[in-house]
Amino acid sequence: MLIQFLLIAAVIVLLVFFLKNHGTTKTAAGVKIGFLLFLVLAVVAVVRPVEVSKVAEFVGVGRGTDLLLYALVVAFGFQTINTYLRFKELELRYARLARAIALRNAEAPEPADAPAVVERAEDPAHTA
Amino acid sequence: MADQSDVWLVVPVYNEAQVIADVVRNALQTFPNIVCVDDGSRDGSADAIRGTGAHLVQHPVNLGQGAAIQTGVEYARARPGAEYFVTFDADGQHQVADVVRMLERLRAEPVDIIVGTRFKGDASHIPLIKRVVLRTVVAISPRLRKLKLSDAHNGLRVFNKKVADELRITLNGMGHASQIVDMISQRGWRVTEEQVEILYTEYSMSKGQSLINGVNILFDSALKTGSRR
Repeated sequence: MLIQFLLIAAVIVLLVFFLKNHGTTKTAAGVKIGFLLFLVLAVVAVVRPVEVSKVAEFVGVGRGTDLLLYALVVAFGFQTINTYLRFKELELRYARLARAIALRNAEAPEPADAPAVVERAEDPAHTA
Repeated sequence: MADQSDVWLVVPVYNEAQVIADVVRNALQTFPNIVCVDDGSRDGSADAIRGTGAHLVQHPVNLGQGAAIQTGVEYARARPGAEYFVTFDADGQHQVADVVRMLERLRAEPVDIIVGTRFKGDASHIPLIKRVVLRTVVAISPRLRKLKLSDAHNGLRVFNKKVADELRITLNGMGHASQIVDMISQRGWRVTEEQVEILYTEYSMSKGQSLINGVNILFDSALKTGSRR
């Protein structure tokens, strides 16, 4: 069936596309265009459900509703990957921030016979 | 004994207050420079470290072992005179004598990094299930076979300034071991391994990463996209 091919291809294309291009300006623009298309299609589906059914029939799904459901599954997968990657990226930035703070506040050991003062090490945070 | 003042031990610490002071004091007898990275411990590990004579760097929040190692290496490589670096576990399962031997090799041989392995000699002291899993990881990883490494998840590593300067661990959690292997192969660091002894005490067994965590490691490594930036 055509629909099986389309769905699987969509999943693979999205996955590869995202892992390769995540975070670039182009991707961000692509996502926005995709979202606009999605909105347009949503309006079409509401106003002319018959057309959706025709498309569904063409690709080999019985009803327009089923086609919508399938599309939703793909969109959800896409969203999940997107969120996962975004979290990973945030985590990395957060780690770098925390690292900069940690290095700035590093404590060198106190000399054995000196009074107990917390010694601030020189700032090594500019290293990377 | 050789002068070890150009060596820095990097010790990631997370909730190890019970043992960390002893481990650090013991290592300080041989290595004057130790930096402990307290990864947001909540059990007073930082206070335990303060009295020992080791440098202390504290993550304000818990980030994970990979992040702690990266922080420690960044701290150590900025110290004047630092030439050799060691990643050393805080739970006392690594032996100072092994580190000394690895450093001798690193100074004498044309290599950039030496990774500890549990599998070169007799491996029967390693818990069976752990052995099976670690062996499987090696068997299914073409990269490890190509580099002739038998134990990628060994926390004991000794490396030079070149590696320290180029090290960029972006996997905060436990995936960093595989990431280091990737960096070895991508950046062309000359690598070899050395038989080391891991003390499986009751304490270290209770702290050690669970095998189920291997799933997390595999997943993080597969979707490792942050490493490009």
